[in-house]
Amino acid sequence: MSLSVKHLLGIKDLLPSDIELILKTAEKFKEVLQRPIKKVPTLRDTSIVNLFFENSTRTRISFELAEKRLSADTINFAASGSSVSKGETLIDTAKNILSMKVDMVVMRHSATGAPHFLANHINASIVNAGDGINEHPTQALLDAFSMTEKLGDLKGKKVAIIGDIMHSRVALSNIYCLTKLGAEVIVCGPPTLIPKHIETLGVKVSYDVRKTLEWCDVANVLRIQLERQNKPLFSSLREYSMYYGVSKSLLDAVKKDIVIMHPGPINRGVELSSDVADSKQSIILDQVENGVAVRMAVLYLLAGKKDNLI
Amino acid sequence: MSSVLIKNIQVADATSAHNGKTVDILIEKGQVTQIGKSLKVTAKQTIEGKGRFIAPGWISLMTDFAEPGYEHKETIESGLNAAAQGGFTQVIVVPNTNPALATKSSVSFVQQSAKGHRVQLKVMGAVSQQLEGKNLAEMLEMYHGGAIAFTDGWKPLQHAGLMQKALEYVKAFNGTVVQIPVMAELSDGLMNEGPNSVQLGMPGIPVIAETLLVNRDIELARYTGSKLHLSGVSTAESLNLIKKAKKDGVAVTCSVTPYHLLFTDDSLSTYNSLYKVNPPLRSEKDRKALIKALEDGTIDAIATHHKPQDWDSKVKEFEYTQSGMATLESCWPMLRKAAPHVTAARWAALLSQNIATIFGLETTSVAEGSIADFTLFDYDTEWMLTPENKASLAFNTPLLNETLTGKAQIL
Repeated sequence: MSLSVKHLLGIKDLLPSDIELILKTAEKFKEVLQRPIKKVPTLRDTSIVNLFFENSTRTRISFELAEKRLSADTINFAASGSSVSKGETLIDTAKNILSMKVDMVVMRHSATGAPHFLANHINASIVNAGDGINEHPTQALLDAFSMTEKLGDLKGKKVAIIGDIMHSRVALSNIYCLTKLGAEVIVCGPPTLIPKHIETLGVKVSYDVRKTLEWCDVANVLRIQLERQNKPLFSSLREYSMYYGVSKSLLDAVKKDIVIMHPGPINRGVELSSDVADSKQSIILDQVENGVAVRMAVLYLLAGKKDNLI
Repeated sequence: MSSVLIKNIQVADATSAHNGKTVDILIEKGQVTQIGKSLKVTAKQTIEGKGRFIAPGWISLMTDFAEPGYEHKETIESGLNAAAQGGFTQVIVVPNTNPALATKSSVSFVQQSAKGHRVQLKVMGAVSQQLEGKNLAEMLEMYHGGAIAFTDGWKPLQHAGLMQKALEYVKAFNGTVVQIPVMAELSDGLMNEGPNSVQLGMPGIPVIAETLLVNRDIELARYTGSKLHLSGVSTAESLNLIKKAKKDGVAVTCSVTPYHLLFTDDSLSTYNSLYKVNPPLRSEKDRKALIKALEDGTIDAIATHHKPQDWDSKVKEFEYTQSGMATLESCWPMLRKAAPHVTAARWAALLSQNIATIFGLETTSVAEGSIADFTLFDYDTEWMLTPENKASLAFNTPLLNETLTGKAQIL
């Protein structure tokens, strides 16, 4: 079994069978991560560069851990701001690094489509670790993995994505992933943070958090991306947390055992109150743990080294 | 000048008595001296016109030659050569150079640089000083220096008060203000807002970013009684507004680019920056409405919006790339492909006569005694635009190295 794609640029390009293969492979890697010795020789002699043109802590650490546990050689490159401000073009940066015989690129960039652009100009396999407001495919895969762990098959399951849908690459990747796996999806948030035409992706739209929570099995609460806003899209954080935040009292009122997720980092008290984030309903730390296994699966499958033991 | 005999060519010129007929045309000393069936004359040069059309020389409206200031993208000379390759005998340039064509001296620099070339160059002067959209440029003096109309070109006038004053100011010489209707405040997206922008994770530019400005400028033209030309209209709704305004007697005309007629936002599915243009490529519904409006007369003209870019301006992350497409050399194959049923005579009106009428330019007709300033074109010749054979310095066309059908040339 192998993937139908050479790169992981977005969930949009994947077949449902690709997603299932990645999730199944991730299960095996999760088992590996429970062993006393968590390292496998699978990607020995494979060099991976982590090209981060945008700040990241958890995604970068998660990828780096995944790479190290697969015994890959890793190089980290971080540029504050865009490649443009550095004075070197993206192609030049990538080609310079690749001329040192690097096999794979994990890339985060503030511009939508940047990894797709690079994929047209270099030979190495590219894993998109987040591009602009477009996609963050490994996040969606680890979210799907974590949901499946908790709820079983996602077919027919009801998932709400709550918050800043417009500026969130997690939202778009989740929508693609969940609808491909047969789940029902609602996006919920202030109308200014929900892009027009989103219903063409096969999701429903709601502006009412309480009704949304009453409907769903899982609520994936997104971070309010203050750094991504260049215009006023809602009045204040105070009003946002009052009307769109997920709090304990709201969940109690709904009287339903909803699974709570969040891609992190959490703005505590804004989109999610602490008593919800740290509650039993929350699988936020499982998401983080599963992130390493899922990323190991993605790197392993893209490397295409079928014969290696894991 | 030598004599030329064109044999068996079909006339595409609604103003000519020979329109639609296949004739022989004798040209002597730059003038048409005889038109008729099977002329029994000899000439120094004979051109076989079988399967081809002859029309009054095409005019490239809204052309950017980037000189002065951006000579690495295009120069006046390379641009004029590209126009000739594309079948244009005249070009009208936009003022978006550096310095901008916002004074009489800069206008005459460009005019002087083009002198002596087979292709004639006309200038649109800037409406605002340095194209800053704040104060009126010296339009009256530029008009007397030969500027044929006024526009801020790729930087549409945002300020309603300034637009009103500009429309009023040009009344002194019955001038025309040209606007590309893009409202900046609503246009910080990267492509047309719609299902495609959502799927691709790109911020969208809504249709209303155009229609609000179309509506505003039509009302200003109505109020001032001045002549307004809207260029690069891209949406079905804009056409409705323009159609109604024309019916009301507002002096508004409009033009459309070849790329809005041929492509839609589906072309952006791979984040290919060669399709990044402004106004953005719209939906198939809009494209179909544009094609229909070519025939029903709502659209008056084709505007090439030839906007050359160098390699580095286009080959990087989509968000950081410059917009625009180089269209001069591939304009006719694009049009022919986009709207194959439009008649040759209608194309002649859209590419020549209507433009001449709107901007008060001299034009010719296929008639005895006329100046021989013609474009010859066909619907069948297959050819390829390549980096080697192109005349433009720019490479920013998705049609490079593609097989194109239909060739135009100038006489």
